[in-house]
Amino acid sequence: MTKTLKSLLAAVACAVALPNAAAAESATIQAIKDRGTLLCSGHNGSYFGFVEVNDKNEWKGLDIDLCRAMTTAILGDPNKAQIVPLSWAQRFPALQSGDVDIIIKATGWTMGRDTELGLQFSLPYFFGGAQLMAHADLGVTQATELEGGTVCVEAGTTIERIVADYMKTIDVEHTMVSYEKAAELRAAYLANRCDAFAAWGPFLAVLRATEIDNPDKHVILSDQLSSEPIAAAMRQGDEDFVDLTNWMIAALLIAEEHGITMANVDEVAANPPNPTVARLLGSTPGIGERLGLRDTWAREMIAAVGNFGEIYHRNLGENSPYKLERGLNNLWSHGGLLYAPMLD
Amino acid sequence: MTDIAAVVSAPPKPSLLEVLRSRAFATKTDSLLTVVFLALILYLVYLALDWALFGAVWGADSADLCPQAEGACWSVVAARHRLILFGLYPYELHWRSTLACVSIVATVILSCLPYFWTARRLSALWIVGFAAYYLLMEGSPIGLEQVTTDQWGGLSLTLFLFASVVLLGMPMGLGLALARRSKLPVISLGVSILIDFIRSLPLLTTLFTAAVVVPILLPDWLHGDKIWRVIVAFALFFACYQAEVFRGGFQAIHKGQFEAGMALGLSAWRIMDKIVLPQVFRHALPGTINMVVVTFKETAIVIIIGFFDILASANAAFGTGEWAPYFLEVYAFVGLIYWVFIFSLSQYGEYLKRRMTVAAR
Repeated sequence: MTKTLKSLLAAVACAVALPNAAAAESATIQAIKDRGTLLCSGHNGSYFGFVEVNDKNEWKGLDIDLCRAMTTAILGDPNKAQIVPLSWAQRFPALQSGDVDIIIKATGWTMGRDTELGLQFSLPYFFGGAQLMAHADLGVTQATELEGGTVCVEAGTTIERIVADYMKTIDVEHTMVSYEKAAELRAAYLANRCDAFAAWGPFLAVLRATEIDNPDKHVILSDQLSSEPIAAAMRQGDEDFVDLTNWMIAALLIAEEHGITMANVDEVAANPPNPTVARLLGSTPGIGERLGLRDTWAREMIAAVGNFGEIYHRNLGENSPYKLERGLNNLWSHGGLLYAPMLD
Repeated sequence: MTDIAAVVSAPPKPSLLEVLRSRAFATKTDSLLTVVFLALILYLVYLALDWALFGAVWGADSADLCPQAEGACWSVVAARHRLILFGLYPYELHWRSTLACVSIVATVILSCLPYFWTARRLSALWIVGFAAYYLLMEGSPIGLEQVTTDQWGGLSLTLFLFASVVLLGMPMGLGLALARRSKLPVISLGVSILIDFIRSLPLLTTLFTAAVVVPILLPDWLHGDKIWRVIVAFALFFACYQAEVFRGGFQAIHKGQFEAGMALGLSAWRIMDKIVLPQVFRHALPGTINMVVVTFKETAIVIIIGFFDILASANAAFGTGEWAPYFLEVYAFVGLIYWVFIFSLSQYGEYLKRRMTVAAR
């Protein structure tokens, strides 16, 4: 009897231990490979430049391209990305419950999210801060002049908190009104229901440039309320997956630094100009093994979506309707804040 | 004799001119008010038509004319209507989503016809209709390319959510209403607590729990697809309200009818089936139509839990740089779709009411 029990226990222990041992490198990556798709966050609607839907009912945008890049790195095919539509409020619970593998959704890296919510963030891939836009006829140029005014914000984002904190710091009495949807917020602002419109700087610039009939009637105030590092968020406790995300972003930046594009990646790989590029594109083996991937993952990824600059220009910059300057979101060598770790 | 007949017969119907004179132009003030308001109404109608028709830009290819246009830019609807109607459903497979939509609408229309009002016909119809929808949308069981539920969207998702919630919720509501009348205190008290508990929670919380919290609490194999979890939660919510509507119907029936049924030696089920329920349905009809219409509109709330229903896909439709200024046109289009469905529902309710009055006579 005891013998049977013991062997039964041993079998159970084995059954429990074995999958763990096999998945020791990264449970998430293993799950993605088994499933054959990477589950990324989409949006319940669209968020200009980052998450949109094109005329063919396909997702596009900066965040979507990063998800495709990641999918190519892991599974070798950008079309194996599965985009799950999520609202802002739903994104973190959805990550915890396993509805998505990763959140790449214009998400700021905050202490609360990093600690209390049990998330882990990648390298920042974008910097954008909260700013205020006001009707030009109010004659306002900075936030201190908004005394007694009404500020509208999108509900459930970090902006709400940032504006409240900032206005408290500069001691400006104001009324805050929250809206769930960007379009509502926009309509409320245009209907003069709010004096100022608090949002993410790039979003305001896009809005002012493309959506508002006369851009000169609106001023973006000089105050930089915050500079939020935007990063991919993952579940705590899977360092190898975080490493992979970091190196996915790093590879896109290194590729831009060395002028490797979607068009020339195969040429460059065949004839690498320097050792870093040779390592990046797998011409010198090693980059794959360290992450548990193929040696050509970065090369395939760049062939599929391009380098970081190409992704930026396609979705936000000169090749998009928004024509947003790179500003802080340029490589460090061009006066921006984007910095890749060393590829040794 | 003839004199009496002349007296009894109804007075002659006043002509339109007479009606106008007595109602709208009886005094000088009346005439003035009539003219002023008529002018105002005509002006508003003109403004609306000018925006929607005369000054409007049509056709998907004329998008570059829109910024200069005086009126609406319907190009956005022409270019993006497939996104609004089908959400993220793969572009080449839209015919499947269209057929699925048709099957749901047909199921709902057919189940409104008196011919189908027997338990067997109705359940057969629903099983066939829903199976057709599911097989067309999902595809893999009948050898078509698989489309997972997170890609379902637009009007077809809204219709599916609405139809499943009502069709699941209606029998559940009746069950709850009957259970609440149970003579066993365990059942009636339990059901009362359940109904009051769910009615005291906002729909949004209920759906958020079903979509987001349940998968964290339950083991993997109990999850099911998110869409089914949400439909079940929504149907339960609907059922709790509908149970109260039915309860109102039950309370309108005199105790004497039950006693008469028993005196005739009918079983409890036959009393319910033949005497009580037909009257309950008649009494509960206005409230039920109300619930159904409200539910159709409330399906839009699933946008919060990341479903790409018609309103979410409308948001996505104007959510790109080139179409961003034309959200009003998109909302007008979606509003028209809602109006068509809800107006048909309420007209059907009117028809039912007339039909039942005839039955009562």
